[in-house]
Amino acid sequence: MQEKLHGYHIALIVYMLELDVTVFSLPRIVAENLGTNGWIGLILLAFVAVCNIALIQLVYRAGKGRSIYEIAEQSIPKLLLYPVYLLLAIFWIGLGSFIGKKYVLIYQMISFPTTSASLLYISIALLAYYMLTKGIYNMGKAITLFCYMTIILTVLLFYYTNDWELSRFTTYLFQGAAEGHSFKNWLEVYTIFVGYEITLFLFPYSDKKTLFKGVYCGQILNLTIYLILIMLCFGFFSFEQLKSIMYPVINLLSYIELPFLNRLENLVFTLFLFSNVISIALFSWMALTATQRVFPRVKLRFLELGILALSVGISFYPSILRDSEKLLRYAMYGEAGLAFMLPLLLLALLFFQNKKAGGNGGTPA
Amino acid sequence: MPDESNRQNPDAAAPDAHAASPDQDAQTTVKSTETKPPTLEGTLKEFAGCFDLGYRTFPRNQVHAVYLEYLIDADQLHRQLNQPFLEADDAQAAQLLTQSIFQPITTLNESVDSVLYGSTMLFFQGQAYALNLARSIGRSIEQTETETVIAGPHDGFVENLIENIALIRKRIRSSHLKFISLSVGEVTKTQVVIAYIEGLANDHFVKQLKTRIHDIEIDALHEANMLVQLIDDNPNSYFPQYMVTERPDSICSKLTSGRVVGLVDGSPSAFVAPTSFFEFFASPDDYYQRWHLGTALRILRFIGFAITIGFTAIYVSVTTYHYEMIPHTMLLNLTKSRSNVPFPPLYEALLMETTIELLREAGARLPTKIGQTIGIVGGIVIGQAAVQAGFTSNILIIAVASSAIASFVIPSYTMSASIRLLRFGLILLAGFWGNFGLILGIGFIIVHLSGITNLGSSYLTPAAPMNRTDWLDTFIRGPFSKLIFRPSQPASPNRVKTKQRK
Repeated sequence: MQEKLHGYHIALIVYMLELDVTVFSLPRIVAENLGTNGWIGLILLAFVAVCNIALIQLVYRAGKGRSIYEIAEQSIPKLLLYPVYLLLAIFWIGLGSFIGKKYVLIYQMISFPTTSASLLYISIALLAYYMLTKGIYNMGKAITLFCYMTIILTVLLFYYTNDWELSRFTTYLFQGAAEGHSFKNWLEVYTIFVGYEITLFLFPYSDKKTLFKGVYCGQILNLTIYLILIMLCFGFFSFEQLKSIMYPVINLLSYIELPFLNRLENLVFTLFLFSNVISIALFSWMALTATQRVFPRVKLRFLELGILALSVGISFYPSILRDSEKLLRYAMYGEAGLAFMLPLLLLALLFFQNKKAGGNGGTPA
Repeated sequence: MPDESNRQNPDAAAPDAHAASPDQDAQTTVKSTETKPPTLEGTLKEFAGCFDLGYRTFPRNQVHAVYLEYLIDADQLHRQLNQPFLEADDAQAAQLLTQSIFQPITTLNESVDSVLYGSTMLFFQGQAYALNLARSIGRSIEQTETETVIAGPHDGFVENLIENIALIRKRIRSSHLKFISLSVGEVTKTQVVIAYIEGLANDHFVKQLKTRIHDIEIDALHEANMLVQLIDDNPNSYFPQYMVTERPDSICSKLTSGRVVGLVDGSPSAFVAPTSFFEFFASPDDYYQRWHLGTALRILRFIGFAITIGFTAIYVSVTTYHYEMIPHTMLLNLTKSRSNVPFPPLYEALLMETTIELLREAGARLPTKIGQTIGIVGGIVIGQAAVQAGFTSNILIIAVASSAIASFVIPSYTMSASIRLLRFGLILLAGFWGNFGLILGIGFIIVHLSGITNLGSSYLTPAAPMNRTDWLDTFIRGPFSKLIFRPSQPASPNRVKTKQRK
């Protein structure tokens, strides 16, 4: 019998997938795009994400827990679907590799200016591949341990007690955004929540009762950690300073001086390797589920190797940080759109399917 | 299953012929003897050329006895066989052989096996009977040298299976405690016993363990540590997957927690299934002290684990790539100490770690008295001379020594050895890529650990899959009043350990 992922692990999967390299620039992104007291905006955006999860929950209910591929294949001919699957797979592999590449490029910048970024990427891609070969259930276990190792870092928070001032928050709301307010700017902040859509793919692998409890908890945990981080930065840096620092969290960490260790960013940023590897591995896993539908007879090992090769191949493309950030941003926009589009499309399909079947319950809305 | 487990006579060491047969697939001899009737000639032929074979007849009757002289108890032989049969005529002998201690044997194969396990085979009027006269061979119960505790029982398992079973029986006075006897090794036919408590152990694990031991194909088996490698879920994994211990108290606590235990004849170690990674960090000591102290000891062991794995690697990483991480007050000392060393930190660390391992290995192989000398000489060479000669820095000595000491805090020798070797990999990675390499290595270890299963259950229980009640008896040692449930990993049908009185 296949073991099912419990809600607890799903929460951590969602949390760790949402948490990626973007977190180091997050306070700046919020300050730039939302302005003063941007954390309130983050709560609003989290609410949007929760609505999106609710859409996914509707798909789960209407589809009675069937995998989304089964739902799609019931109404749409496979010949039409396979190219879409492949495109999606390539997109996800690309998304994972942009995340990894950006992390590696930042790492190269702060620690290893002379080491080849591709070499570093290949090493973390190998770890992601190793994770992928273990299957989603064991990935869940590894993610749980990785999560414990990173979440413990929140104790560093107390180091800033003396330097944190509430007055730096100002009494203004959403003022001073770099380019004013626009849909695009809010979308850019919204992309930090990208990752919860993995729920769509977890349907067949998770415990029925606790799946969505887990997803919501993961989302809330993620929001909490983000809020803590943003509020810490907003109270530690001045608003203008925050807008001009590329990676405020790294600066924040380098401020710490413990009696036996300084410049903690070296260690903490390295620990975040885990959350990036997880992002690569989980997006690759999503791609794996899609390619498996197209090539059901091909051995899993070959598909995994193919994904690894493609991921490394794509990672060569962005060679400087600016390019990598741009690509990642666009990919994230795409993924955020996909997170809304997929459940809507599936709901439409399910609506017709259930109607055809006689409309006996389970229809959405 | 009960027919195999309800052994009436605890010293009846011969395993059931049925249990013994499946793995004896030496096509030629076994196949032919399996169906042949047990005859005196056949048995004698099988043992032709064995000088230790005893064969005797009695003047007044037709009984023939065949046995291996050094396997059986001479006193028992005299009382149970010689005395009654010496004066008996044929009719009386037939009468005597109806006693239940004489087990009728139907095939030649069984007859040969019975002799090999210390029985005397009696042949009389075309019938064959086995009389168990096996004597206890090997040292009697002694203290274990690898797992000593300060407070708590000091007896340990020995090489003698009968003694070991008796030790368990003596501690768990329950008829629900069952033993299944199996045989492994086509040549050695080593007896392996699976023990479990009916109603507490999950049948699934008992059956699975039994099947796996049945399916082993090997010529010789000498140790429990060897057996567990043959029944691993992940034979290529780096970590020991079954907990192996020489302590009967530990084994009994595993049995009562619903786990299944295996014993191998000729080995003082017993193994436990299913086992999780974190169990290797628990010692019976934890339960014999106040829970606060037990908890502190457990946490200390986990700190020890972190130090063993990472301390030297962090030294290498920091001194090679991340000097900025060292506070300036410490930096002066460190650079002063490092300034005389001609090697890069990676070589320096590997050199010292290898020396420590050499010392440890030499100390383990030598008798205690010489071992002490090695310790002193090694201590002086490493501690003083190496630094003065400019081979290594003082701070590295501290790192290497503390990680070596920390590795011995882990109670399980096999786990501690695995972790010590793992350290080298991390040092290498730290030497190549600094913190990045170190964390990458840890990532690989964690992913590897998550993939390991033991009899199909997760090796990382209770961290993943998460089980909060288990944490109380894994990462800390909760007070007994709070340890109400049995651990989740063995999936015991009876989860409640104690019902507290209100």
